[in-house]
Order: sequence, then structure tokens, then C-alpha cells
Amino acid sequence: MKALKWTGGILLIIIAVALLVSSISAQSDLEGLLKRLDAQNVVDLNPKMLADRDRVLESHLDNDRDRTLRNLDRYLERHGDLLLLEGTHALELTAFRSGPIVSSVGVLLMAIGAALLATVISGKAAVRKAALYAVGIVLLYVCVYVVEQIAGTSSMLVTVLKKGAIYALLAVSMNLLNGFTGLFSLGQAGFMLIGAYTYAMFTIPVESRGQVYQYYAGGLIQFQMPVILAIILAGLVAAFFAYLIGLPVLRLKSDYLAIATLGFAEIIRAVFQYDGLGPITNGSNLLRRFTTFNSALFPFIAVGICILLIILLINSTYGRAFKAIRDDEVAAEAMGINLPQHKSMAFVISCFFAGVGGALLAMYQTTVQASAFKASMTYEILLIVVLGGMGSVSGSVIASFLFIAASEWWLRFLDAETVIGTFEVPLLRSGFRMVVFSVIVMLVVLFYQKGIMGDRELSLDMFKRNGKEKRGGRNA
Amino acid sequence: MQEFITANLPYLLGGISVGGQYALIAVGYTMVYGILRLINFAHGDIFTVAGFFMVYLNATMPVAVSLPLTILLIIALGFSVERVAYKPLRNAPRMSVMISAIGVSYLLQNLMWYVTGGLAKQYPTIPWISSSITIYTATTKMVTLVTPILTIVLVALLVQLINHTKIGMAMRAVSKDFETARLMGIKIDRVISATFIIGSALAGIGSILYFSNYTAVTPTAGAMPGLKAFVAAVFGGIGSIPGAVIGAFIIGISENIIKAVGLTTFSDAFTFALLIVVLIFKPTGLFGEAVNEKV
Repeated sequence: MKALKWTGGILLIIIAVALLVSSISAQSDLEGLLKRLDAQNVVDLNPKMLADRDRVLESHLDNDRDRTLRNLDRYLERHGDLLLLEGTHALELTAFRSGPIVSSVGVLLMAIGAALLATVISGKAAVRKAALYAVGIVLLYVCVYVVEQIAGTSSMLVTVLKKGAIYALLAVSMNLLNGFTGLFSLGQAGFMLIGAYTYAMFTIPVESRGQVYQYYAGGLIQFQMPVILAIILAGLVAAFFAYLIGLPVLRLKSDYLAIATLGFAEIIRAVFQYDGLGPITNGSNLLRRFTTFNSALFPFIAVGICILLIILLINSTYGRAFKAIRDDEVAAEAMGINLPQHKSMAFVISCFFAGVGGALLAMYQTTVQASAFKASMTYEILLIVVLGGMGSVSGSVIASFLFIAASEWWLRFLDAETVIGTFEVPLLRSGFRMVVFSVIVMLVVLFYQKGIMGDRELSLDMFKRNGKEKRGGRNA
Repeated sequence: MQEFITANLPYLLGGISVGGQYALIAVGYTMVYGILRLINFAHGDIFTVAGFFMVYLNATMPVAVSLPLTILLIIALGFSVERVAYKPLRNAPRMSVMISAIGVSYLLQNLMWYVTGGLAKQYPTIPWISSSITIYTATTKMVTLVTPILTIVLVALLVQLINHTKIGMAMRAVSKDFETARLMGIKIDRVISATFIIGSALAGIGSILYFSNYTAVTPTAGAMPGLKAFVAAVFGGIGSIPGAVIGAFIIGISENIIKAVGLTTFSDAFTFALLIVVLIFKPTGLFGEAVNEKV
């Protein structure tokens, strides 16, 4: 068995490396491939063909894959009769076309091989479990990438994936506070706003600032930060404000805390729209032209890292202290847990990730305006947390993808006036989607209070333990 | 002096008027909180729905019919919201009920958006109430004068109801101790329904007075006044009706003073700042009773 694993693992890695190398070389050597296709060099005699070929190479140099493939198809279609398209050349062309998919399969095989080797080398159950999770995560990312390559970056599916990932982070960060620490805060939108604005303000290119801050003579900030730094800064600024706000507010209990944080979110929104801060925040005008992302992989990786950090936190001693506070404050204090310190910590960390989520949301939307960050945004995220299950990270993640897919995509048909034959389907018109959607949400809230996951997590153990252990409900 | 009054009187009158309207909403919040310990997030939306009832009813019938009908319909709505969304959760954790309230608010807003197509609807002019009058040097609508008077009359009636009738006594008992009241044979559900009926009726009246001041209603028009009325209820001490009224007047007037000073952007923020200050220094509000939480 052990020998089988060794050979299997090494074999997989070798295949993976071969796949990666071949797909990468096929990607980089497009020019050589085109030369080989055109063995007689007819290109030089045919100016139209030359122009078409140059267009392919130009878009390839720009790293715009969609455009390259389009241009390549056109080139082959127009001048295919003059080229050698049989045998190895056809294979090379296919290799170029399917490059991303081949390389992602390579990455996946590499992960599986590495996981196999890891389990043979250590043999510990924990390592085996970690290896399985790692393979699962890589598989997920590969799927996202392949889907994106096949469906195109602007398809509905990819849009849902991008927005869903960002909402997943927002929901998990809110769950950390509401579901795990039992602090019922409704200030999420305010901290998202801080994050989104911080990110946007620092990543607008200097040359565009004149146009964006047109009423404020280009604004005060005259430099541009790298994206990663700006995202982290967005989280830090949100966390800093959370610390300040938490000092007085966290002494309040349950619904008073909810209303006070809601109030602070409104104050933050008003401050960011204040004309006097215009040179920094652009007043009530929108911020645009900052750096955004194209591929769904960016939000997936960023969100993945953040959620991983949150999971690690939840499983640490601090996380256990948070849960103790949630279950019984007095008992937790009696056990020696420093209440103000832990509450403040949970609040600050949750708001840090809300800020990061806000920054990602800004990137997704490509523009930011303070007036959009209303209390209704907080409510939406709260409903996601409830749908997924208070106190379940995986529940929040699943619920956000379902929520976004349902509201942006699956229920879209409800918004379109539909005529079947001569029969006009009643009720269907703009806005009906959200009505149906909110009815569904209400049904879940009323009859399915624990949400999708309750307070359990999606894990490998779930399948083994299924049915053996039934956990009782938790009173919040 | 003359100039000072001329410049500031309109704001003061506006503040008193808005304060009265907040008071009518705040009473609904404070009564529901007093009995169910629930922030009824849907209350502000019920207030907005009342505005739309008035718009649609007034298009087909005379004011004398549409006005009472609006209030009847809004009572029916408040009653059914309680029956459908809050009653099934009577024994659930408090947070579940609050989330259900947020869900109802979400549903009502989406429903209003659907019915109106997201457009602002012109609010009808109600005869007499919408006519202009001149007080000293300030020209204003009749509603500005009517609101505070009507508010005080209605609240006085309500206080009488609570202090001197059987259902009022039941309400006080339930808000003191939910479980014991139930053991004493009080029909909890009837008391809660009565609370929602009174609250919705007052919100309906408040809505008519509030929107008379404006030209149009939008699906989210009631969210802010609703929140501010809640702040007023907390400010006055939640559960206390006179407290809610006084809180509402203070908030209405100070909000308009902020506008008069020229900081309109901060008029909403000020209200919440006031709330936070109150919560920190006197968590039970001006007239609230201190409750010791048992372990």
C-alpha cells in the first residue's frame, strides 16, 4: 500500500509537471507556432494575411486571451487553406486553445500527488485530513478557473461567483460577531463603507484624480498604493474605527447594542458624504477609476485567505472564549474570561474583515458611493447569516452563494414580462423577483430557524458521524 | 430680535411638527418593546405603506372615505404582520423575532417597490390640512399646527386607556412580567394584538400628517423617520409613552435646529449621536425604569 502511494504520488507529480510545462510552452510560443503553420511563408506575400496575423500576436502580447482566441479563429478561418493544419500542428493548436484547462488539471494532479506523498511521509490522521482538505480547496479553485475560462469573465455564472465570494466573506465576518460571540451588531454596512472608501481613495491612479475629484481640484491624496496594501489598509482603518466605536458601545447589551451600531453606521455614512471632507472622500460624489479585478480567482483567493484566518481564530483559545461569552456571559466571566477585552477583540477583528470585504466589493462594483451603504445592506447580510445558520462558517458561505445566485440570476425570469402563446403570465414584472425572494427568506426565518447548517460545519467528519450524534439547539 | 425670530421660526415650527409625527410612530415602537421586548423594525415600513394606501385610495374615492379606510387598512396590516411573523416565534430566542422583524421590513419594502415600480408617487393634497397659514411671520401648512395638538390629544387618550381600562391594565401586567401575566389568566395574544392595533393606527395617523408635508412617497421614505422615532423611544426610556413623546419632540426640534445652522448632512447623524450618548450615560433613557437582569 505504501509503495503504491509512493509511486502514485510521484507519477502524478511527474504527469502534472509535464502538463504544466507543455501548456505553458504552448502559451508562450504562439509566434513560433504560427510560423510553423505557415511553412512556405506566404504571409509576406499577402498583406491582408500579415495584418490578421499581427493582430493575433498583438492581442497575445497584451495578455488578452479572449481577444487572442477570437483573432486566431478569424485568422484560421480566412487563411486556413494556405496553412498546414494537419497532424502535430492541429495538436499544437488544440494545446494552445485548451491551455488554461490543461494547466489547471496539472495543478490539481500536483495537489493530489503532493497530498498522497504527505500522507505517506507522516502517516498521522491530522495530516491526512489536512491533505484531503487541501486537495478539496485546490479542486474548488481549479473548477472556478475552468468555469471562468469556458463561460467567459462576464457571464452570469462568473458574476455570481465573484459577488457570492465577496458576500461570503462579509457574512462570515458578521457571523463571527453575531453567531460566535453573540454580539448583535448591525453596523456592518458602515465598516464596509470605510473599507471600500479607504481602498478606492488610495488606488485611484494619480493621473485620473483630476477627473474623479473634479469638484475638489484633484483631491488631497496624490499617490497610488499597491492593491494588496490598499486592501489590508482598508481592513486596518475599519478595525481602528471599530476599536474606537467599541469602547463605549460594547458595554451595551443585545438590542441596545444593535441599535447603537446601526446608529454609528448611519453617522459614518453621513461623515463620508460631508462636503468639508470632499478633498479626501469626494463628498457625496462617486469614486471611480480605481484598480479592479477581472478574474474571479482574485476574490476567491482573497476571500479564501480571510475565511481561513477566521476559521483558525474560531478554533483557537480566543474562539472558544468567544463561544463561551455567547453561551453565557456571566459564566464566561466567572471562568476568568476578560469580557471587555474579548468583546472588543471580536468586534475589531470582525470589522477588519468587513473592511476587507468592503474593499473587494468596491473592486467588484468598479465605483463606490457612500449613499449605497444603507442599513438595508446590513440587513441583507444578516439575512444571509441567518439563512446559513448562526454560528456556522460553512453555512454562511453556502448561503451567500445561494442568496446571490437566487437574487441575481435564478429568479431573474420573474422580473421579465412573459407571454406564453396569447396568455400573459400575471404578476411578472420588474420587482416581482425581490418580492418572491423576500417571501422565501421569511419562510426560512419562520419555519426553519436554524438555517441551512444550524451551528454545525460542513466537514469530512459530518459524513462519518452522521446520525450518531444529535446536538441540541442553542439559545441565543 | 425680530430678525432672529423671522429667520428661525419656520425651523422651530417645522421641528415641533416633525416631532409630533415622530411621537406618533415612537409610541408604536415603545409599546411593542414594552410588551414583547422586540424592536419592531417593520414599524417604519408600515408607516410608509400607510402613505401608499392613501395615495392609491385617494385616486378613486373622496378624502372623507379614503382617510378612515387608510387607517383601517393599516391596522389590518399591523395586526396580520404580528400574527404571521411574530406570533409563531413567541417561544423562540429574542434575536429570532428581531430577525423576523427585519425580514418583514425587507418584504414590505420589496413589495412597495414592486407595486409602485420603484417610482415616487405624488401624495394627495388633503383639504384643510394642506392649506397654508401664516403664523407671525412664517408661512406654513395647517398640518404644522394640527400635528402637535393632535399628538398630545391622542397620547393623552392612550394614557387614559392604559391606566383606566381593563385592556390597559392587561398591557401593563404583560409588560411587567410576561409569564406571570399569562398564569394570571391574561390572554397574551389578545393583548399583543391590541398593542399592534394601537401602534399601527397611530403610525397611520402619523403617516398622513408626515407625508402631507411632502410632495411624494417612495418605498424607502419611511425608513429614516422610522429609525428616528425608535431613537426617540429609546431616548425617552423605552416602554414609557410620555417619554417617547418628549423624546420625539426633542429630536424633531434639535434636528431642525441643525438644519437651520446649515449642517443638513449631519441632521440624521446627530439623532444617532444623541442616541449613543444617551445609551452610554443613561441606558434606560429619560423616563425608563432600571431593570436588573437576573442570572
